[in-house]
Amino acid sequence: MTNARKCLLGVLLVMVSTVPLAHAQAPVAAPAVTPPAASKTIVDTDLSNIPVPAADARAKGDPDGSLTGNASDITVSDAKKGLTIGDLANQVGQNKIAVNFVWTLITGYLVMFMQLGFALLETGLARAKNANHTMMMNMAVYGIGMFAYWLIGFAIQMGGVGAVANLGGTPPLSSEFTVHLFGKPFGLFGQHGLFLMHKGTYDVGVMVLFLFQMVFMDTGATIPTGAAVERWKFSAFIVTSFLFAAFTYPLFANWAWGGGWLANLGANFGLGKGYCDFAGSGVVHAVGGLSALAIAMILGPRIGKFSREGKPQVILAHDVVMVITGCLILAFGWFGFNPGSTLGASGNGNLRISSIAVNTMLASAAGLISGMLYMWTFYGKPDASMTGNAFLAGLVAITAPSGFVNPVGAVIIGLIAGVLVCLSVAFVERVMKIDDPVGAVSVHGTCGIWGVISLGLFADGKSNYGGSWNGVNGSVTGLFYGDAGQLVAQLVGVAALIGFVFTLSFIFAIVVDLLVGQRTSAKSELAGLDLPEMGSLAYPEFELKSSS
Amino acid sequence: MILVGILLTFFGFVIGVSSLAVTASAGGRLVIVMAGIAVSLFGILGVLNPAYQKNAVWKKGLSRE
Repeated sequence: MTNARKCLLGVLLVMVSTVPLAHAQAPVAAPAVTPPAASKTIVDTDLSNIPVPAADARAKGDPDGSLTGNASDITVSDAKKGLTIGDLANQVGQNKIAVNFVWTLITGYLVMFMQLGFALLETGLARAKNANHTMMMNMAVYGIGMFAYWLIGFAIQMGGVGAVANLGGTPPLSSEFTVHLFGKPFGLFGQHGLFLMHKGTYDVGVMVLFLFQMVFMDTGATIPTGAAVERWKFSAFIVTSFLFAAFTYPLFANWAWGGGWLANLGANFGLGKGYCDFAGSGVVHAVGGLSALAIAMILGPRIGKFSREGKPQVILAHDVVMVITGCLILAFGWFGFNPGSTLGASGNGNLRISSIAVNTMLASAAGLISGMLYMWTFYGKPDASMTGNAFLAGLVAITAPSGFVNPVGAVIIGLIAGVLVCLSVAFVERVMKIDDPVGAVSVHGTCGIWGVISLGLFADGKSNYGGSWNGVNGSVTGLFYGDAGQLVAQLVGVAALIGFVFTLSFIFAIVVDLLVGQRTSAKSELAGLDLPEMGSLAYPEFELKSSS
Repeated sequence: MILVGILLTFFGFVIGVSSLAVTASAGGRLVIVMAGIAVSLFGILGVLNPAYQKNAVWKKGLSRE
């Protein structure tokens, strides 16, 4: 073909392709106005005339899916009457709750997967001689924590939450222990739900709520294992995890999420919409981080972490690949953590799950970038473990505000968290002289508190989860959008975290220290905890060279 | 000193909660709650931690070698 013919063919092709395009972009004529159809009341007999695929047509298979799922799949209450309006309405209602059940359960499974992320992150940051011990703590906390939570923790946390509309009501969870203070009711702990059998709590909606809340609690319970790694007696860890899951976590979670006094600061004292914590920067992360601080303080640093003059020494992580893999798994699981906290995908403004997921990923990116740049600028290299911590710091910080802020707010919150975690790690190590091998206190404690405060600043008043939050009409609005009361409510929550949760954790840690002893012997610590505490090495076929 | 630190940390929480009764203004409550948080932080950083650092393992000369 000659060049001229090619050109001609090209011009023709362009003309042909642009003609419909021109039509598409031309102004569209206004449709003729047609009178509205007269409304017609639908009665039961109309439903009986809905055509459904014949049985013989279905018997031939349905490769394109056009025949499967129709009116014949709706459960009828009376076969003689056939399909009724009532059947239809019940099916619609059950479909809504089913969507919410499936959403909440699957996001709960994602949060459970975060246990693996924590296990890899903490084990990678520990030395090889402690790998078995660290992995075991991360697995055992799942079982110990769940057992304690099933026995009593869930009842304390959620026993008085009342109706959770997204899950079909959960009416059995209706009893909150309340005292009166300053003339107002102060809910302190729930009373229904022991063993998931007590007072009618053997209920499908309650089961969904239990699973979702249990994996959240377990995320909090696994945080102290990071700060105490390489020197924590396994028996002390078991008792501590039980106490955390049974009492420490459920108490604060009740105050914030279970209908307790913090949630009602708006209704009772006019402070915004009360203490708000969408997915747990405070409830999960700050509680875990502050417990970690209490335990690390009592345990003391690892042998060799500080020189005689108190100068911190570097103890190298044994597997950076594990560390980064763990961080990425955690970031993946966070898509269950935050969007799942709507407890539903249908109704009550739950379509905001898209916004929550995007806020989550944006804040993590912002944290990663600011933390990496901070390390690069001030320490010469984009340190992998600190960049990983900054990545997680962004996620921790956005957890509370994720449901209430816009994307720009999410990025600002993440950027600040990425730098804040670097400063906090340096402060904890150099000023407090506390040995926190994975940075748990800073990532979860410091950035968790920042997340709680940031909600009081950046909530933009655009979210609408059924028209109210914590029993107060309207949307959650922070200081920068006009509601100073919301910031005060958040700060009262911070005061409870630092003043009450830390104190309770500290007292528990002292009691455990007196009963079973918190710290392993110096001999075991120097040998590595795998053999003395667990009885076997993580890497028995490798020769471990001790450089630290 | 450990008991003093625990009590001080908890007292900061009490101050924070009492802000709800002392005044109805957001500004007044903000100041009182911040004071409560400061007291709790002093209890942790200024009293409890130094009490535990007195007998820190590194001061005893324990090292890896």
